[in-house]
This record gives sequence, C-alpha cells and structure tokens, in this order.
Amino acid sequence: MKDFLLGLAFMAAGAIVYLVAQQFPTMPSLQYGPSLFPSLIGGGFMIGGLILAISHVGALKGIGHGMTWRMEREQLRNTLLSLLPALAIVFYILTSEWLGALLSLALVMFVLMLARRTPPLLALGVSLVAALIVDLLFSRYLLIPLPEGLMSIWG
Amino acid sequence: MDAFLQGLALVFNFQTLLVIIGAAIFGVFVGAVPGLTATMAVALLVPITFYMDPTPAIAAIVTTSAMAIFAGDIPGTYLNIPGTPASAAYVGESHQLARQGRARETLGTNLVCSMFGGLFGTLVLVFVSPSLAEVALKFSSFEYFWLALLGLSCSIFISIGSKTKAFLSLLVGLLLSTVGLDMMSGAPRFTFGIPDLMAGVNFIPVMIGMFALNELMMFYGSRNEGRNVPAVHKDEVFSSVPKHLKRYWRNLLRGSSTGTLIGALPGAGADIAAWISYAMGKSRSKNRDAYGTGHIEGIVDASSANNSGISGAWVPALVFGIPGDSITAIVIGVLYMKGMNPGPTIFMDGGGLIYALFIVFFIANLIMLPIGYIAIRSAKVFILTPRKILMPIILCFCIVGAFAINNTITDVWIMLITGSVAFILARNDFPMAPAILGLVLGGTLENNFMSSMLKSNGDLLSFFSRPISASLGAMVILIWFLPLFIRLYRRYRGAPQSPRTP
Repeated sequence: MKDFLLGLAFMAAGAIVYLVAQQFPTMPSLQYGPSLFPSLIGGGFMIGGLILAISHVGALKGIGHGMTWRMEREQLRNTLLSLLPALAIVFYILTSEWLGALLSLALVMFVLMLARRTPPLLALGVSLVAALIVDLLFSRYLLIPLPEGLMSIWG
Repeated sequence: MDAFLQGLALVFNFQTLLVIIGAAIFGVFVGAVPGLTATMAVALLVPITFYMDPTPAIAAIVTTSAMAIFAGDIPGTYLNIPGTPASAAYVGESHQLARQGRARETLGTNLVCSMFGGLFGTLVLVFVSPSLAEVALKFSSFEYFWLALLGLSCSIFISIGSKTKAFLSLLVGLLLSTVGLDMMSGAPRFTFGIPDLMAGVNFIPVMIGMFALNELMMFYGSRNEGRNVPAVHKDEVFSSVPKHLKRYWRNLLRGSSTGTLIGALPGAGADIAAWISYAMGKSRSKNRDAYGTGHIEGIVDASSANNSGISGAWVPALVFGIPGDSITAIVIGVLYMKGMNPGPTIFMDGGGLIYALFIVFFIANLIMLPIGYIAIRSAKVFILTPRKILMPIILCFCIVGAFAINNTITDVWIMLITGSVAFILARNDFPMAPAILGLVLGGTLENNFMSSMLKSNGDLLSFFSRPISASLGAMVILIWFLPLFIRLYRRYRGAPQSPRTP
C-alpha cells in the first residue's frame, strides 16, 4: 500500500517538475536548453512512479476484499516520535536568532534526551556541557558566526 | 622523487599525525556504536575538515572511514547488531562465534583481514590509478558524459532490492543537481527566488541530511536501545590469527581482490562488497554447511572485502572524478574545495599532494592494528555508550555542521528537507547510494552533454564518433539491456522460472 502511494506521489512530483521545466528559457543556438534535463527527470519520475504503483496495485485489491489498511497505535506513536529530530531542527531555526545557538542547542538536546527517558539531571548536565563544547568548537575555534542571541548580553 | 619527498613531509608532521590519530579514534567510536554509519561519520567530519589543510583533511576522511568499517564488526560480534551496514553480511557468523566464547579471536581475525584488505586496495590504487589516468587524459566531454552515465547506470543495476526504487532514488539526486543557475544559459532553475540556491544545492547538508538526520529519525522511531551486552569473553585477540590466515589465505586474497573491484564500481560500496564476497566464499567453500553456525572462513572473505572496497572506490574517484561509493562521493566535494580537482590531471599537477594521499592510505590501514586492538580490548565502553544521550548531541553537530558550510540557515533547511525525504524513502527500502551519485554526477552528466552538443552542433551521433566514446556508449547500452538478455538466455536454456502465485 505504501509503495502504491509512493508511486502516485512520484508521478505527481514528476508532473510538477515537468511543467515547471517547460517555463525555463530556451537557447537560440541549440535545440536543447536548460529545460532538457529537468524534463527528462520529470518524465522519469512519472514512468518510475507508474511502474511502482502498478506493481503494488494488488494492495488495493486486498482493501477491496475487506482487508483494511490501518496504522496500529504503536506504529503511529513510533512515527510521531521519529519526527522529533525534524521538529527540533525547526525549533532551532526559529529560535536560534534571539535565544542564541548555545541555548537553543542545549534546549533541543535536553528535550530529546528526556523523550528517551534519560534522568532529568543527567540530561540537563550533558546538554549544557555538550552545547558549550559545540559552541566553543564552532564559534571560537572554527570561527563560524553562530547566532549569539541572548548570550550577547554577556559579550 | 621530489614529489614523493614533498608528500612525506606533508604527512609526517605533528598536525597531520595528530589528525590521523584523532580520526582513528573518532572512526572506531562511530563505527562501534550501532546505528552510526561510516558515511555518517565522514559527513559529520566534512564541516571540520573544511578548515584544515588538504592533507590532514583527506587523512581525516581516509582514516575515519577505514576505522569505522572495521569497528562496525565490534557490536556485530557482541550484540548481533552490525555497527555499519558493511558488517551486516557476516554479523550472524561473528555473533555465533562470540556465543562460543571466541569474540576476541573473531575480532582479532576481522582486524587483521580488514588491515590486509585495506592495504591490498591501497596497492591497487597506487599502481593502477596513474596508468588509468594516462588513458583518461585522452578523454573529452563525449567520454566523460558516457562515463558519468555508466556510473549512474551501475548504481541502479548493482543496488540490492527493487531496481525501480533505485532508479527513482537516482532521479531524486539528479533533480537536486539541477537546482541553481544553468551552466550554459545562466537561467535559474528551481531556485524559488531564494538567493542562496542560485549557486545550487550544496552537497554537504544533503549528505548530513540523508545519512545522519535520516538515522536519527530511524532511532527515535524505534524503541531499541541495543544495550544488552553478554559477558565479555577472555580469549586472546591475536593468538589464533596466524592459524586462520595460514588456512584461509586464498579467501583473504579473493576477498580483497573482489572487494577492490566491487568498490571501484560506481554505486557499490563496502556493504555490497562484503555481501558478494561472503556469498562467493560460501559457494566455493568445502565446509559450506558450517556457514551460519560460526565459521571463521566466511569472516575472512567478507571483512577483507569491505575494507578493500573502501580503497578501491578511490580509483574512479581520483582518476575520473566518478565516485565509487557514498564516501568517495563526499570526498570528491572535499577535493574540489581543497583545490585538488579530481581527474587525470591530479596525477600531473598535484605535486606532493597525490603522494601524501597514498601515504595516508597506508598509515590509516596500518594504524588500524594498534587502535583496533585497544578498541577490541575495551569493546564494552563503545557498546555501552547510551544512544539516548549520544543521538541528541549528534543532531546538534548536524545542525551546526550544515550551517557552517556557507554560514546560512538555508543549508539547515536543505538538511532538514533532504533528511526527511531520505527517511521516508529509506523506510520504504529505497537505496540511498544512487541519490548521492545522482547529486554528485548530475552536473558532470549535464554539462558534458551540453558542451558536446555545442561542439557537434546538436548531432547526437557524435557521441559514437570517437573510439573510446563509442566503446563506453556500447557498455552503457549493454548494462541497460543486460537484464533483458539474461532473461531471454534463461528462457532459451529452459531454466526454471520463479513460480507465480495466483
């Protein structure tokens, strides 16, 4: 079932890529322009997606015959938990400018450690020390301009 | 001779040697923690190598990858969980031996075989690459187009599992490579008005996303902490190794040569080298029935193959700029950043750098012996490292590492998006190696096609007008139609078809 849906998703993505590619300008001296490769890739997505969907069309027949496609509670929970690192990155992107990289990273690590049932005190200690090391390594040693945010008060 | 001496001076200095030792320890650690792969180790290392001189940067990558591939055997032996995918082929064998109380003996054999395989692959790299480079000097855009297409085709046909999925994965990488200003016309493509995307998608955030963030998401989506360590055994690390090597020296040579060859094929890395060598060893063994019950012969073949594959993958990467596996795909980007443009000229104008690279390979494989020995003796430390504490720290390195490439938050978004897409695809058994090769080779493929078309006024037949170009073109077409030929041949010989279910 998942492969069938992924096949459809690739077909849709292929159609979008193909349509967007048609708007790229062509070169007067050559019959092949900047749209050639993206168009071929879009076409490839549609063909590959179609093959993937067709080869898993049997899953749909199973649903028609009374089989249901349902996510179990455990599976749903695991899927949601797997999104945690992605959400943590979004949190960092949104908050690092005013909180500063150091605090944002420490918060991200602390919450992620708690999510896997690390004892809170240990999680807090490790998060703070690790954030300090990462910040020192990148902003002081490698001279990366990580956002300072609130920490700029201390200069 | 001067260039060789320059190479020696570039390697044998305090900074480079310190980097090699640090990278070896880092490699052991990442390889020995289940869920952290050698490619992930290299991807995380790149932002740091960005600020190093070329020789220590390359030394760090070579040493980390070689050590991580060996160290992947440690949790495989003790926990039956391969530390890296390259150890998966023989993890059952190693674990069975550990259960018989022979864990250290197994790891000692693994270590020596890994070192031998790595040195074998390095010798091939040193002696074959310069001769191949002389041939490659005659190449023009027509040959490079076919070569890139050959690499991409191999990545699909060598991949394990569904070829359709490998094809789609490759297209994802190719699509990413088209983002940015078109090389010929200067027209922006898929940039969505974001100035940071005008120069294209940087491959490092993509690598970090595909190999590190993807693994992190997998970890949080599972409940397995993997920490049930059985009693650590007290057998000796090296005492039985000479006996095994004397008995299975043919396996050692066969595994190393097969591994080097498979590693050199684009898209096939250390993991596929190990699987094929294990299967080959089993089919040629006199004790076939003993395989799967804890038989050291299977380990000799496969553990020498995965390390020789690492070195073998560098041959096409250095000579043609075509990566042999995901790690060399990253390396090619690093070489460009360091001004060592991969291609035949690297052997002509590289001065001492190319010799330094070869020397680094030898040192990385030799240092494996003492550091690997210490790692085996202290295996419990690596296995007991709680992943619930380690993974959030790795995530922070991912974020800051992606940001550090261009000091822009756009790269963090790219890492997030590509990592999330890779997670969905990997969970549905899409191989990731073709996507990486697509991203790295996409530009080479398109630019060489376009410049060939400009040279020949749009005549497609010109791709077959030069002898080397025509031969490479024929090879690509042969690879595309090979599955069809095999099917027709089987039908002709009347081989039994796989039974169809109603």
